[in-house]
Amino acid sequence: MTADKKKEFDGGSIWIVIAAFNEAAVIGPIISDVARRNYRVAVVDDGSQDATGQIALAAGATVVTHPVNLGQGAALQTGIKFALQHDASYIVTFDADGQHRPSDIPRLINALAENKAAYALGSRFLGSSHGMPFRRRLLLQAAIWFTRAVTGLRLSDTHNGLRAMTREGASRISLRQNRMAHASELLEQIAASGLPYVEVPVTIEYTRYSLAKGQGLADSLSILFDLSVQKLHR
Amino acid sequence: MIAQIGFSILLAGVMVYAWTEYRRAPVIAILASLAATAGLYFVWLPTHATRLAALVGIGRGVDLIIYIWVVISLILLLNLHLKLRSQAELITILMREIAVANARTAESSK
Repeated sequence: MTADKKKEFDGGSIWIVIAAFNEAAVIGPIISDVARRNYRVAVVDDGSQDATGQIALAAGATVVTHPVNLGQGAALQTGIKFALQHDASYIVTFDADGQHRPSDIPRLINALAENKAAYALGSRFLGSSHGMPFRRRLLLQAAIWFTRAVTGLRLSDTHNGLRAMTREGASRISLRQNRMAHASELLEQIAASGLPYVEVPVTIEYTRYSLAKGQGLADSLSILFDLSVQKLHR
Repeated sequence: MIAQIGFSILLAGVMVYAWTEYRRAPVIAILASLAATAGLYFVWLPTHATRLAALVGIGRGVDLIIYIWVVISLILLLNLHLKLRSQAELITILMREIAVANARTAESSK
């Protein structure tokens, strides 16, 4: 990257990282809503086939584009790397499907400072969720038990994409799970880092669109397989 | 005797392969080595294979050896899967570097 280009990206210390794959239908207003609060927004366009990248650019985001689709985990790691390279003091991961509220971002950042924590993890079960199907609730509960058993972290919500981390916290994260198993892997890395974390109540809004993009039972089995297999090699 | 030597060469090959994989995938290497060792043992002491097979309800000793070979094949298949994952991780790193180096803003795209 040239010096001029790097300079152009610098300036904001709070970066909002949004992984997006074929989100042209919803991503524009989401970015505008976040960007108008003076956060720097990095959208990782994960090989979208639609106009996600162009819409994100027009809405004021910096767009980092994967040439092909790699998965949400890979996209988040790319966004974290980009933000760290551009002087991020805090990094917030935020979903592209409209489930999260930008108004929760300052609560996450404040929680980091107030608790001297490296990670602030959003929890819909401490906060609220609207329109969550019963089956999704069951799956999330199973994930909570699994995470407690594997990592020892006693969390109330383990697969919430709304989370904030300090620069030090982010630099300890190195996701190898490209696809959906990254959420569990991230928690394993938080536990392994030994850095303090805090849960923060947030609101999740389920819509027909976000539910269609969400995970089912087959995805959960795939996540278990990916996590198990990763332990077999370096 | 010819079959025994042939099987032994194959199983020795599996063990050598397992050792070469130890640094990258130690669990796979240990499992493959154990299975190959069991295979070698039963190839040269088939009466033990027959006795053990009867004990665990498999039937014939040769069936036990075939089962061990199937296990070895599955372990090697799993190892291939792991190698593909490693390749995918390398491709991801490469793509990430390309993506970050070519980040765009509305201004830089004009």
